[in-house]
Amino acid sequence: MARLYQVPSHARPWLTAAILAISLPQLLRGPFWQVLLLLAILLWRALMDRQRAPLPGRWIRVLLLLGTVGGIYLSFGRLIGPEAGTALITSLFALKYLELVGRRDAYVLIIIGYFVCATILLFQQGFFVFLYVCLCLLLLTASLVGIHYNDSQARSRQHLGKAAVLLLQAVPLAVVLFVLVPRLPPLWNVHTDQGQARTGMSDTMAPGQVSNLAESSAIAFRVQFDGEVPPYRQRYWRGLTYSWFDGRTWSQARPDDWGDELTFYSGRGAPPLWYRDLLRRAADRPYWDYQVIMAPSQRRWLYALNTPVPEFDGLVLARDRHLVATEPVTGNFRYRVRSYTGVPMTEPLAPDQRALMLSLPEQGFPRARELASQWRRQYRDDSALVSAALHWFRDEPFHYTLSPPAVGPDVVDGFLFNTRRGFCEHYASSFVVLMRAAGIPSRVVGGYQGGEANPMGRHLLIRQYDAHAWAEVWLPGRGWVEVDPTAAVAPERVELGLRGSLSQAGEVRLPGDGIGRLPVLFQLRQWADLLEFRWQSWVLGYDLKRQNQWLSRWLGAVTPWRLALLLLTLAALLVLATALIMFRGRGPRSATPLTREYRRLARGLSKRGVRGAERLSAAQLCERIARRWPAAEPAALSWRETFERLAYQQDTSPSIGALRALRRQRRRLLRACR
Amino acid sequence: MVKRAWQNWLARRLPRDHQVQLNQRRIFILPSGYGVLYLVVALLLFLGGVNYENNLILALCFLMVSLFVMGILHTFRNLSALTLRAGAARNGFVGGHGGLAVVLVSRGQPHRSVWLSWPGQDAQEVSLETGEEKTVWLNLALPRRGPVRPQRLRVESRYPLGLLRAWSLVALEHHCLAWPRPREDAPSPWEGRGGSGGTGRHGSEAFQGLRAYVLGDSLRQVDWKGYARGRGMNTKLFDAEEGERLWLGYDRLEGLPEEQRLALLCHWVLLLSEAGQPFGLRLPAMELAPGSGDEHRLRALDLLALHGNEGGQR
Repeated sequence: MARLYQVPSHARPWLTAAILAISLPQLLRGPFWQVLLLLAILLWRALMDRQRAPLPGRWIRVLLLLGTVGGIYLSFGRLIGPEAGTALITSLFALKYLELVGRRDAYVLIIIGYFVCATILLFQQGFFVFLYVCLCLLLLTASLVGIHYNDSQARSRQHLGKAAVLLLQAVPLAVVLFVLVPRLPPLWNVHTDQGQARTGMSDTMAPGQVSNLAESSAIAFRVQFDGEVPPYRQRYWRGLTYSWFDGRTWSQARPDDWGDELTFYSGRGAPPLWYRDLLRRAADRPYWDYQVIMAPSQRRWLYALNTPVPEFDGLVLARDRHLVATEPVTGNFRYRVRSYTGVPMTEPLAPDQRALMLSLPEQGFPRARELASQWRRQYRDDSALVSAALHWFRDEPFHYTLSPPAVGPDVVDGFLFNTRRGFCEHYASSFVVLMRAAGIPSRVVGGYQGGEANPMGRHLLIRQYDAHAWAEVWLPGRGWVEVDPTAAVAPERVELGLRGSLSQAGEVRLPGDGIGRLPVLFQLRQWADLLEFRWQSWVLGYDLKRQNQWLSRWLGAVTPWRLALLLLTLAALLVLATALIMFRGRGPRSATPLTREYRRLARGLSKRGVRGAERLSAAQLCERIARRWPAAEPAALSWRETFERLAYQQDTSPSIGALRALRRQRRRLLRACR
Repeated sequence: MVKRAWQNWLARRLPRDHQVQLNQRRIFILPSGYGVLYLVVALLLFLGGVNYENNLILALCFLMVSLFVMGILHTFRNLSALTLRAGAARNGFVGGHGGLAVVLVSRGQPHRSVWLSWPGQDAQEVSLETGEEKTVWLNLALPRRGPVRPQRLRVESRYPLGLLRAWSLVALEHHCLAWPRPREDAPSPWEGRGGSGGTGRHGSEAFQGLRAYVLGDSLRQVDWKGYARGRGMNTKLFDAEEGERLWLGYDRLEGLPEEQRLALLCHWVLLLSEAGQPFGLRLPAMELAPGSGDEHRLRALDLLALHGNEGGQR
């Protein structure tokens, strides 16, 4: 049996812990056999280190390797790509532990470990995840210290302490590097979003789609307000409008002859008429300033309060006043918006646009059409008809529920006249159908409503379950007017949010409910959320643009030379400071507390004209003082008495209390010398 | 040429001394092979972070880099202020090994995993805690007779991370003496009275008295009878007259080459010491008064080793 290297017993716990900690996120995410593999490896290694098991032979190692690669292929269907690659490298990393033969292997294993650490961050980037990765780093560093300190006297705890000191000292420099090292654009193209599900509102809306979202408590976006947070019922985060209905599904549409240049404004070039018109109307309205951080949705829809005027940067404003990102949102995407409240949307309706907003399928929902024409006969005025419709929704026995029963083939009639139990998309959809049948141009709006306010950070957290759908009707003279039929049925949905309204109704439990509502935990959760929010906005969102903004505030213009100079200067200063702290008080300590006390007195006397006091003995010093200031003699004598008692005290250094007494006497003496 | 310039530079920068305290003038520091691997991993992370636009991977990379930078300070500190002092020497015969002791003293801080080695030798590892003092014996090959000075001692440490190695090349003022290798196939170099063939007894000399045993006295001269009676360990003293002393003389081996003469003398020194026979040694430039015991033997051997070197490197 080959003589194999034994990781020093005092370093072994850290190495094992590091391998476990680094593998854990992958084990939670990946296939179950990886857990078994890791446990088997650790067990085998532990037996090997106790001479109970042999080093696995070459064939076993080759088999394990092939088995791992094969297993990854079977589980993931491929070997490359972030998920499969990470799973592979994590397992291979653990396997390497099994074939540790020399000290060199141990080094290589640990250094590779740093790389594996980083793969955790490919998938999760929360603050706590990063802390966890730092913990892995600490364990790895402790192992590195441990395998290098080949002395039987060494204790495990020492390594961790040393590693912690090193890491803590490394933090300031790392921060400087993080802030100052230029963010390069990607060198080559990578796709991290393969196979990742899109979340959030989609570009079509069918029954059941929004209520699916309502079961997720994932974060849709966060909003940070510059000033106050708007009240709950005003928080309608407008996303996109659906204008085309095929009898079941709503989808986005625009009149045939509207090109992109008519529909979107990107902030560049001459603003189109509708945009100038919008600015003019908004000019003296109150507004909210805020910034939104979208979570990755893999879609282009962005959300804002009505009426948004964004900072044009990576996004465009559509003519129906919603925001669209120029690229699908794959990472955290940040944008700033100013939303003017109460801006009338009084644009005239072009004939083909009007036709689109009135369009309905040829067939279907006879009863709804009949009800609409009955209303039409009853009310000449459009707005009277709208409020009549809302009254109808309120008075008829409609129910707001997350789990509506099956409606049948005709989704509109089935819902309006049979089941009468539905979610916001049912109400919005059937309301718009009724309006269109009555001849009122209207459309469905998809977005989010509400959001949990974090009182600590003046920011709102909008989760997927805040997804909402409502309607807009076009009234002559008033333009587009927002109408929320859900509010007519379940006003608490708009006042309290989904959770509030459903818990009132005693309906389903939502994820994160229950224990999360305890006051203490709730507070904790809000803190954690604030932390994550700051993390998102300061760390994760620190990109080239922000870096430039931030640096130009400090440097004036950001030129490579200035940047390099600043970077080097700061780094050098930090290293110097650390070195000073580390090497301070090194070597024979030149002055004992007593000597320092003596020097202080000498300094005080030299200010009063006694030169060279430092070279005198205590007795000589007192003599001088007595000669010069006879009044100070008693103080000088008592100081000398104390000083000499402490100085000639055997073996023990003077206690803190004694030194303090001496200090008091010195002050009294100096005061007397005048 | 380059080597010479390097040695000259070293000699100026790190002069030979009895005691050397390592400081920034004397410590060199460079990444080790693993350090390079580590930096490569950090570079990979940087590329990954840039490509995936992942700020946290970048942050991890920066943390690794600054860990490395702090490692420089710590590795340096592990060696700095370490004091090395020339210790005792164990002399040996030409062609064998001698030993030199290096005393390491820690002042105010621990020094961990310090490796000491001469070029072409396996390193010895030693760890010192604060205030500790340790002696390390290092073997030294003795290729020729006379004082043998080791090359510069390499003091190296990679603690704590192993990513960097800090080292110093220390020249301590110490040396080993290489005694001549003993030879016996030649005429005996002794003169004067004394045993024949070195097996003489002390009985022929006048017994003078006893004195307390001192380390280094020949065990053959111990008064064992008295010891057995419980009178303690005493050494018998004999008084031999000058003319009756046994002298080993360099001059008596005329006609032989120098080294061969020394080798013969060495042989006899060993032989006589083995037998407990007092002897004196006469070399052209030095003389050792007759005596016996381990101390005497060592002094004789040292004189032989130093022949032709007197005043040279001493």
